[in-house]
Amino acid sequence: MKIVIDGKQFEAIPGEFILQAAKRNGILIPTLCHHEALSGLGSCRLCIVEVIDRGRKKVVTSCLFPITSEVEVITNSPKIHKMRQTIIKLLAARAPGNEYMKSLMVKFGVESLDGFTGDKNENCILCGLCAKACEELGTGAISTINRGITKMISTPYDEPSPVCIGCSACASVCPTGAIKETMENGKKTIWGKEFNMAKCENCGAEFATTKQYEFVRKKLNIQETEKVLCPKCRKKLQSEKFKDIYQDVKPE
Amino acid sequence: MSDASEKIVYVCCGTGCLANNSIDVYEGIKNKIEELNLNAEVLTEVKPTGCNGLCEKGPVVKIQPDDISYFKVKASDAEEIVTKTIKDGAVIDRLLYFDTNLKRKVKSHRDSEFFRRQHKIALRNIGEINPAVIEDYIERDGFKALEKVLSEMDGSGVINEVVKSGLRGRGGAGFPTGKKWKQCASYDVSPKFVVCNGDEGDPGAFMDRSIMEGDPGSVIEGMTICAYAVGSRNGFIYIRDEYSLAIKNMRKAINGAREKGFLGKNILGSGFDFDIQIVRGGGAFVCGESTALMQSIEGKVGEPRAKYIHSVEKGLWGNPTVLNNVETWANIPVIIQEGGDWYSSMGTEGSKGTKVFSLVGKVKNTGLVEVPMGTPIRELIYDIGGGIIGNKKFKAVQIGGPSGGCIPEELLNLPVDYDTLSKADSMMGSGGMIVMDERTCMVDVARYYLNFLSEESCGKCVPCREGIKRMLEILTNICEGKGKEGDIDELLEISELTSEASLCSLGKSAPNPVISTIKYFRDEYEEHIRNKRCPAGICKNLTEFYIDNDVCRGCDLCRKNCPANAIDGAVKESHFINSDACIKCGNCINNCSFNAIKVK
Repeated sequence: MKIVIDGKQFEAIPGEFILQAAKRNGILIPTLCHHEALSGLGSCRLCIVEVIDRGRKKVVTSCLFPITSEVEVITNSPKIHKMRQTIIKLLAARAPGNEYMKSLMVKFGVESLDGFTGDKNENCILCGLCAKACEELGTGAISTINRGITKMISTPYDEPSPVCIGCSACASVCPTGAIKETMENGKKTIWGKEFNMAKCENCGAEFATTKQYEFVRKKLNIQETEKVLCPKCRKKLQSEKFKDIYQDVKPE
Repeated sequence: MSDASEKIVYVCCGTGCLANNSIDVYEGIKNKIEELNLNAEVLTEVKPTGCNGLCEKGPVVKIQPDDISYFKVKASDAEEIVTKTIKDGAVIDRLLYFDTNLKRKVKSHRDSEFFRRQHKIALRNIGEINPAVIEDYIERDGFKALEKVLSEMDGSGVINEVVKSGLRGRGGAGFPTGKKWKQCASYDVSPKFVVCNGDEGDPGAFMDRSIMEGDPGSVIEGMTICAYAVGSRNGFIYIRDEYSLAIKNMRKAINGAREKGFLGKNILGSGFDFDIQIVRGGGAFVCGESTALMQSIEGKVGEPRAKYIHSVEKGLWGNPTVLNNVETWANIPVIIQEGGDWYSSMGTEGSKGTKVFSLVGKVKNTGLVEVPMGTPIRELIYDIGGGIIGNKKFKAVQIGGPSGGCIPEELLNLPVDYDTLSKADSMMGSGGMIVMDERTCMVDVARYYLNFLSEESCGKCVPCREGIKRMLEILTNICEGKGKEGDIDELLEISELTSEASLCSLGKSAPNPVISTIKYFRDEYEEHIRNKRCPAGICKNLTEFYIDNDVCRGCDLCRKNCPANAIDGAVKESHFINSDACIKCGNCINNCSFNAIKVK
């Protein structure tokens, strides 16, 4: 299926999102709440583009808009740029002390917050990626709570979640580094819950929380009797096995 | 002149009248009839009904076949109604409705301007039946349309009739109902769902509540007809939990319909199965947005999703779903009975049929009114609504709920339909109509609605959550006297982002109160920002009242009503306000009959 992005024609797979098609063809659309491994949220709106469909122009979110007909896409018109600036301004005003948001202000040419003030200690821009990662990984320990301007991300009743496995997927997908975790005396603390660490029986590295290891072990059907290995040592072990299998295969 | 014929006494027991103790009136009349053993003489049935519309003058009691309507009836009037009117057929003058337009009392409510100018389709049975008794609905041709559909029509025939009617979604968006059904029917996927949106949440709007309370059968019948047409076997009615009477009456009606074979397996022996389940909403305004509503039914957080793939294709649990609003459903049985052509003969080119409005605010007759599309706003406010309360001037009418816009005096001749209202930066919405008089500050109005939306936005997307938050900040500053040059531009900049880039229509329409008040009342914003003055005398920091000595007659009413003892003056002599003591509550200006109190 043909699609025109910023004046150039590309081939798109029917049903894929504009963002994917653009990225594959080297056109970068800015995002905050998007992660390749997770389904689209459409909450940050930074990836908005203009779509011209049968002569009608409309603003859509490229991470969620499926290509079902031969449309024309404009990813960075003056109008879109202006709106992205306003989005960055609003988000930076929410988390004025956050370094990443400050860098985005520079990148998008937002010079001032126009007198808007926010909590200097706030780093969360409520993109929701953390909750999405938690949900899709299968534990759903955190979610958005409340609504409107009091919305936030938390565990149920702000208490340590009984289902949290301390995997830190939330922290690793967070674009602004808003989720804090600490490592002290071989124990990890995140979302107010303390976790013991699993040690690699090969190299001794503390590579995951014991709860996370258990979760993954069950999910991948690894026998309890099997050696506890960190990803690095597991990879090593696998390549050893492959070496044995393919030892007779010679390159042509 | 009592005769042997049966008399029926209808006592309005909608939420509005119930709040005014109409249940005591109902019990009072019933007990008195028993006490006098009147039934031997005049067979009398007393029915609790749904809302008659004129809530302002409730509780309402109607007596048939004499066609007598009593308003503002108290429990203490019950005895007199029984002995005089029911027994002797005499009219109690004191309880009649005084029509301010006709300037006389009217015996039947049908003679009043409020009712005479209405055309009731969606509200046809409300106030005429006991909603808890399914037989009452059946008696007024209830389920006739369903019988007709099942015995004479196929799915596409039904859909064609709805397409022909030109009916558009009454929940606000105005999507053509027939087109929606047709698309849903075209997917060869099972199961399909039929959903009724009863999560009415607009401040001041109560038409859906009234229909669910007063005529639940019509909603059930409408949904069942749709289910037959699109091939669905499961329906859901999502009702906000605050609507306890609506839930109760709907539940009774569903059970009644099941017992009579209008719901459940093998409906009327046709082989068609359909049943309806009630889902109680948790009180989030945003769950009235169709996709958030579906998330809520699925047990998820009520957040909308992008609608690039429509619900008719992938809705509830990812399956084809027809979702319509309560009022839309209530229109369906009549359209099937009378035909699509009949329905489309009413209204304007783009908006057919009738629409229910809840007329509230500073009008004399507040209540529910149903008028043909295209009726001028002026007629609604002045002829049906009876005009503005007191001798105040009209200022604006806010149409379409919190995300609607304010229509000024110069646009009052606009006909109400979907397209003209959106062109005027307002919207049909669910049909809330809040009339405001000169004692309304338009900046404060915008602030009020943005405050509502700041709490009721789902908070998922940035333009809506952060945009509303900042617009509310700016508006609050302006109202508190901290407005600065550039504020209006800033409001318009954020408005543009929020209206264009928000995820759902709640966000997209959220800036409407701001945009429309700036468009029509920009001078008022500028007065606040530049001269630190609120011309309506509402924003306390920017208000100073004074008494015009030439006009004041010294009636002393203002002094008596002043809670801060800030007014001095002898009777029959001009009064004056001590500005230092004045707390700017506005009691004086609201009570002055001579417009002697002015805003500096």
